[in-house]
Amino acid sequence: MLTAPNERLKRLIRQTLLIRRIEERVIELYPSDKIQSPVHLSIGQEPVAVGLCEAMTPQDILFTTYRGHAYYIAKGGTLPELMAELYGRSGGVSGGKAGSMHLAAPEVGMMGSSAVVASTIPHGVGAALAAKLRGEKQAVITVFGDGATEEGVYHESLNFAVLHKVPVLFVCENNALAVHTSLAERQAFDTESHAKAYGINTTVIEDGNDLIKIGDVTAKLLASLRAGGGPEWLMIKTYRYKEHVGPGDDFDAGYRKRADMEPWWKSDPLNRYADIVKGMEAEVKAEIDRAVAFAEASAPPAPEQLLTDVE
Amino acid sequence: MTHQSTATSLSYREALHKAMHDAMAGNPNALLFGQGINDHKGIFGTTTGLADKFGKHRLIEVPLAEEGVTGNCIGAALNGAYPINVHIRSDFVLLAMNQIINLAAKYKYMFGGLFDVPMLVRLVIGRSWGQGAQHSQSLQSLFAHIPGLTVIMPASSGSIVDSYAHAVRKHRGPVISLEHRLMYDLKFEPEHEPVVLGATPFSQRKVSHGSDVTIVSTSIMSLEARRAGEWLASRGISCDIIDLHCVSHIDADVIMKSVARTGKLLVADTSWQPYGVSAEVCRIVAMRDPGVLKAPVVCMGMAAAPCPTAKALEDIYYPNLTTLTDAIATLVRGKKDNGIELPHERSMADVYKKFKGPF
Ligand SMILES: Cc1ncc(C[n+]2csc(CCOP(=O)(O)OP(=O)(O)O)c2C)c(N)n1
Ligand SMILES: [Mg+2]
Repeated sequence: MLTAPNERLKRLIRQTLLIRRIEERVIELYPSDKIQSPVHLSIGQEPVAVGLCEAMTPQDILFTTYRGHAYYIAKGGTLPELMAELYGRSGGVSGGKAGSMHLAAPEVGMMGSSAVVASTIPHGVGAALAAKLRGEKQAVITVFGDGATEEGVYHESLNFAVLHKVPVLFVCENNALAVHTSLAERQAFDTESHAKAYGINTTVIEDGNDLIKIGDVTAKLLASLRAGGGPEWLMIKTYRYKEHVGPGDDFDAGYRKRADMEPWWKSDPLNRYADIVKGMEAEVKAEIDRAVAFAEASAPPAPEQLLTDVE
Repeated sequence: MTHQSTATSLSYREALHKAMHDAMAGNPNALLFGQGINDHKGIFGTTTGLADKFGKHRLIEVPLAEEGVTGNCIGAALNGAYPINVHIRSDFVLLAMNQIINLAAKYKYMFGGLFDVPMLVRLVIGRSWGQGAQHSQSLQSLFAHIPGLTVIMPASSGSIVDSYAHAVRKHRGPVISLEHRLMYDLKFEPEHEPVVLGATPFSQRKVSHGSDVTIVSTSIMSLEARRAGEWLASRGISCDIIDLHCVSHIDADVIMKSVARTGKLLVADTSWQPYGVSAEVCRIVAMRDPGVLKAPVVCMGMAAAPCPTAKALEDIYYPNLTTLTDAIATLVRGKKDNGIELPHERSMADVYKKFKGPF
């Protein structure tokens, strides 16, 4: 590491804070109907995206899901274009056509996010195959939820990746929920041993709030990918504070208990390092204000845009 | 043969709940499969409480495994159960197309009639509030293209109650039903229920009688057509509106009889036009007797693009009450400058604008 560890930690905390505060701003703005798009917030899960993306170079590429604000930001996507996209404005990264569920920023290796569960997992494998073909020292991460591991395409992707030894890191972002349904109600298999059965190396991070650990483990795994060691599999356990989709809390809905959140709240880096966070708030707020101002000033897409980029 | 729907005053959502309840109560071998089927939201309130009454062994919470679960339904249907499988967006059923098209649709014919696959697949079409490209598709024509499938698009509470009861009790083949999310909160009074134009609840429906133009519509466009028809009725234009309801089995006589009277045809579908319901209705007229047409057919549907998320674009992506009314008036008057005052509301905009989920 070039920077001293405390500088590094600060950087990671700042990014976590930025994502948290942006999504809180989304919550704040939501009742104004300026953001007319279903939002799947990452609040509580931000350290996963931050740690993973820290280990990636801008050339490394990432595929992810509809729960994608955190990844877009952590991978280096620009904030004003993010906000304008959420607003459905022409200044958005996709001119308003994508909205919250389909964020992308190819210039920094954020290759898109799909609202159909598990559908980008095979893209990570194919992109890794292409990286290998082209002889690039490029690594690919494909992120998916625990629910996605139930889909057939996940299994097909693991098999292909191992068969062809492609440089892809499968990351299961395990919040133990698919919408409101617990793992136990959905899965008869153990995700890690199942993955192992394909002959892939597996790693599990129990504390999805440990920014440094996520960054370190990912860096090691990506180094192995780049050295031709074949695909890797990583599960990071984490916790979603907010409802599955939308700006609200849903602890009164009955499918989980507020007490489940306690340990995560305690280890939440924004709480653990509250004093460091305090010093960063003003600057982060200013950054978000600028992004919101950009979105507010951005014009809605012109009617002609309806039929552009179709083919 | 025509008959009136049996429905009492229910919202679309209540009708769906009643249909699910009645299916479970009426057939001990009926099963309901879906992701989140037993959670507190219960598929937008259409399955809530049913597990308490009928048991979780019949209301089956399923993993994210659309193709596998569809195959499970087929196997269950082959062995005496009546499976109902619900997808909260029609877009997700695309993962199960192999089972539906290669298996469910063909099982009877391919084995020379040895088997039936009685099952119902409920799909919900999303619209509004930035559903975007992958949560808004209206896929009726993909299914209606395939022999062996019956595809319905209920546009009223009565259509739900009667058609689902018919599917569960009488029909022996796979039925695909496309429900529209934006209709869930609408209440349908029995006197507004369209008249069924045929022997079974899967038949076409007459929304209103008229003499100037035939409007053939599907799903929520049948509601828009009714509203446009009411607006135009007081302005001297009378619309004959047919709610297609069953898009896979269209009674050509119903359409031809109407068009022969009016000489003018407008098709208003919820989906894209090419290779779709619009194209199919045009095929029927072109093959039966294009000579009855006094003007070229007009078709309305989604713009020829995936659905954009931005509201500014989504607003012009779909036909609305204004554009529909204008198109009807232009067709009837034979000129763009049709002199008909247009309604101010953008569409069923009151409903759409208020819609903020749950998704
Ligand atoms: C193929 C498909 N099936 C169902 C859905 C509806 N759906 C959206 S998110 C979700 C849960 C996914 O859970 P998980 O993969 O764990 O991701 P998380 O939302 O927890 O981040 C479901 C069932 C969908 N979008 N796509
Ligand atoms: Mg999950």
